[in-house]
Amino acid sequence: MDYIRILKRGAAAAATSYRLIIIMWLTALMMVLLVAVPLKSILKGVFDRSLATERMLDGFDAGLAGDMGQSFGYLFGAATLGGLLLMLTGFLLFTFFAGGLFTRFAAAYGDLNVASFMKASARNFFPFLVLALLMTLIIFAWTALIIGVPVGIMAAVTDGAMTGSNLMRIPLLIWALGMPVWLLVADHSRRWMAATGSGRVFRAMGAGFGSLKRRFMRSYGAMLTVMIVNVLFFGAALWIAAWSVPERGGMIFLFFLATQLMFLIRLLLKSWRYAVVSELALLPA
Amino acid sequence: MRQSLFILLVFIPAIMRGQVIFDVPLSERTTGYDIAAVLETESKTVTGDMTAWWVNRSAMPVDHALLHLYLNAFSSNKSSFASSGRWSPAGDEGWGYVRINRMSDEYGNDLTMTMHYVAPDDGNINDRTVLQIDLPRPVLPGDTLKLNILFESKLPSPIVRTGFNKDYFWVAQWFPKFGVYETAGMRQRESDGWNCHQFHPNSEFYSNHSVYDVSVTIPSEYVAGSGGQLVEEIDNGDGTRKIRWRAEDIVDFAWTAWPGYKVVRDKWRGVDITFLTSEKGLKIADNQINAVKNGLEYLDARVGPYPWPHLTFVDPPMEGAGAGGMEYTTIFTSAGSGLIPPFLKMAEMVSIHEFGHAYFMGILASNEFEEPWLDEGVNSYWEERIVDNYYGGGYGIIRLPFIKMSDADMARTSYIGSPSKQAATNDLPSWLYPHGTYGMMSYQKAATWLHTLEGLISTETMDNVFREYYRRWAFKHPSGKDFIETVNDVVRKEHGEKFGNDMNWFFDQVLYGTEICDYRVSGVTSRKITGYSGIADGDSVAFTRSDRKSDTLYLARVGIERTGGMMLPVEVLVRFDNGDEVIEEWDGKERFRDFEYTGTRKVTRVIIDPDNKIDLDINRINNSWTDDPQFTASGRMMTKFIFLMQMVISLFTI
Ligand SMILES: [Zn+2]
Repeated sequence: MDYIRILKRGAAAAATSYRLIIIMWLTALMMVLLVAVPLKSILKGVFDRSLATERMLDGFDAGLAGDMGQSFGYLFGAATLGGLLLMLTGFLLFTFFAGGLFTRFAAAYGDLNVASFMKASARNFFPFLVLALLMTLIIFAWTALIIGVPVGIMAAVTDGAMTGSNLMRIPLLIWALGMPVWLLVADHSRRWMAATGSGRVFRAMGAGFGSLKRRFMRSYGAMLTVMIVNVLFFGAALWIAAWSVPERGGMIFLFFLATQLMFLIRLLLKSWRYAVVSELALLPA
Repeated sequence: MRQSLFILLVFIPAIMRGQVIFDVPLSERTTGYDIAAVLETESKTVTGDMTAWWVNRSAMPVDHALLHLYLNAFSSNKSSFASSGRWSPAGDEGWGYVRINRMSDEYGNDLTMTMHYVAPDDGNINDRTVLQIDLPRPVLPGDTLKLNILFESKLPSPIVRTGFNKDYFWVAQWFPKFGVYETAGMRQRESDGWNCHQFHPNSEFYSNHSVYDVSVTIPSEYVAGSGGQLVEEIDNGDGTRKIRWRAEDIVDFAWTAWPGYKVVRDKWRGVDITFLTSEKGLKIADNQINAVKNGLEYLDARVGPYPWPHLTFVDPPMEGAGAGGMEYTTIFTSAGSGLIPPFLKMAEMVSIHEFGHAYFMGILASNEFEEPWLDEGVNSYWEERIVDNYYGGGYGIIRLPFIKMSDADMARTSYIGSPSKQAATNDLPSWLYPHGTYGMMSYQKAATWLHTLEGLISTETMDNVFREYYRRWAFKHPSGKDFIETVNDVVRKEHGEKFGNDMNWFFDQVLYGTEICDYRVSGVTSRKITGYSGIADGDSVAFTRSDRKSDTLYLARVGIERTGGMMLPVEVLVRFDNGDEVIEEWDGKERFRDFEYTGTRKVTRVIIDPDNKIDLDINRINNSWTDDPQFTASGRMMTKFIFLMQMVISLFTI
């Protein structure tokens, strides 16, 4: 049972890298706080010593948006802009850390110390960035082709009525089944770069494709499993966060800890994916 | 010739005025229409053979008549309606019009030659939506004018209030229709005369309560519905069928035909509910019908009985979306065609709103052109009360753990958030609102000040105001002044002089004024009172403390400011650290007001308008002050923001 063994070994590799994952979590938290803290002080400024916040104890009362006047627009604008900036810097940050993680999983000698992790991240950063951009583009193109085109045709044919929404399940399924392939290519290529120390992106992609082709069925099965676990956890975590309404200061702190724990698990699950693909690459072709 | 004239004179009125639905007419029935129409689905036209009658209820002879020809608003880009930019045709097939091919009076006089267009509102010579007919012999007081009219109505596309899209037909504003002949005194009018407005981009209703006997011939595969009660349905055997409806005491008659309609029937007390919807809309049919039943129950209990034994309710499909959110009393449309997610109660809100017009416009037939607030504002106010009563525990539009909003606040937000909220008074005719403020003013501002009125005089008194308004004005034509008079009488009866001699001071500000309302806590201090030290008459005099040593005396001062120009009486709640609470009343006439308290207690919180009576206050955040602000809500929001951002970043980085 190669398949189960690989998943297990990947999990073990990810779990023993917990220190690296904690570094990633802390850095990401700091970065988001840089935006969140000023936003919170704007919010505090708006409400000042008002009791209107009592109206928001069980969820944001959108009826207060008008009372906030211009501040609401500023807050909304700042949150949107801050969010976009965070997505951009976050993309760079996690691409950076991916370089370290793949090096750790490609190497046979267990956990990296923090310095070597950073060094490996820095060394791989540029080729990993190019590769991440390319693969993200490919995934966007894939989405547009498989989902965008049928939706467009359907909208045109049914005059916007979208009467065939049941039919839309087919492209959605094709899209979902195709996603593991792209992630496998990306991960195999990055694993190749980390293992060989080469920074040549296109060669890495060729090697990634080749590596994947030789072990396609095993790779695909493992990746699909990892993805399903990731997606389920992702959905559940967001659902829990959205529907939680802690009402007192202490509860909010606990809620904060819980969300951060969920984010840590999310990082762990993603590292598990990297580790599993790194294990897959070692399988005999 | 004479014989047929005899039959026309004797029998037609007998049939037309005969009671089919109500034993006793609900209204004066000044006008009536008997129409035989044929829908041509290829050419998108409805041809009609109509007998229309109007009774001169004034004391003077009337020598001309005015008729609405609404569909001509779609006949050129220069009509007052189309030139507003509200509508442009979908290709050449999209133009609409109503053409009168023959018009004669009961004596056979051809009136076609005397017809000419007038534009009483804006003088636009290209507007053909009001037709004047000069009568060869004046209609004497008490006499009836009968017109026989052959007309052809080409429906416009896209649908705005009326029209077609492919095989979907929403046939409204489709036949020549009398204006309202107002007698002196009616709606504070000085002399008799016709009231017949052009077709404007905003607002469209003012008509007499009428009797309608309408038959339409449509292709057999079409499913049809109307604001009338079904009388008979005949298969013509040629691929068409004829449907005959009758409606009594309604102000307009609309109908619809589409092969795709699914029909759901239900009943509320004695009212037959017919729901026409699409395949998609079927899955929310229960929600939709319940929304209307909620409306029926609420208004029946608080305003007056729903008098008709029938109502038809339509959730148009996507192709008929332009017909959504319309009201023709006993037929009205929802919106969304089943595409709105169920946690958002927008479809229910629209259904309740359009149903509500059966009362505010249908029964209480005010002039929407001239006083849109009395129609749309009053109706929005009730819609908000109903939606917030039946859904989401006070947060009718949306209630999720992370976000909530009431229907009343949604309206209030669009008023207080509008940069043009002071652009005009609230009593303008619909076509004179500047800066695109018509909707915000006639719907949302008016609803917001009606909520404020309710807050001031109490919900119970407000309900009694509307019961009295219904009792006085049902099946008549009330004006804003008539409404205010009702408010004044009921408030005086229930509250005496509490609000002064009348409530005119309120309406002068909210309806006829442009000021805004805003109160704020401008400062709260609790200062220790120290003993006297210094020299008095050569001696040193010390302040005597109270006998309990631990007690410190404070001078607490609460400063309230009125920053808006609107002056409304307001309550202020002051709470002290020992748990005491004081409610202060302030008439809000001055700009500032200080409340001072001396004692051993410090102020811990101040709330202006603690019961949220004054919805008009444009900023409620500055209405309160606490010595111990809690930031739990913002803390929670930020925690969610942080987590959401982390997750999104991890998702978008492969
Ligand atoms: Zn309305």
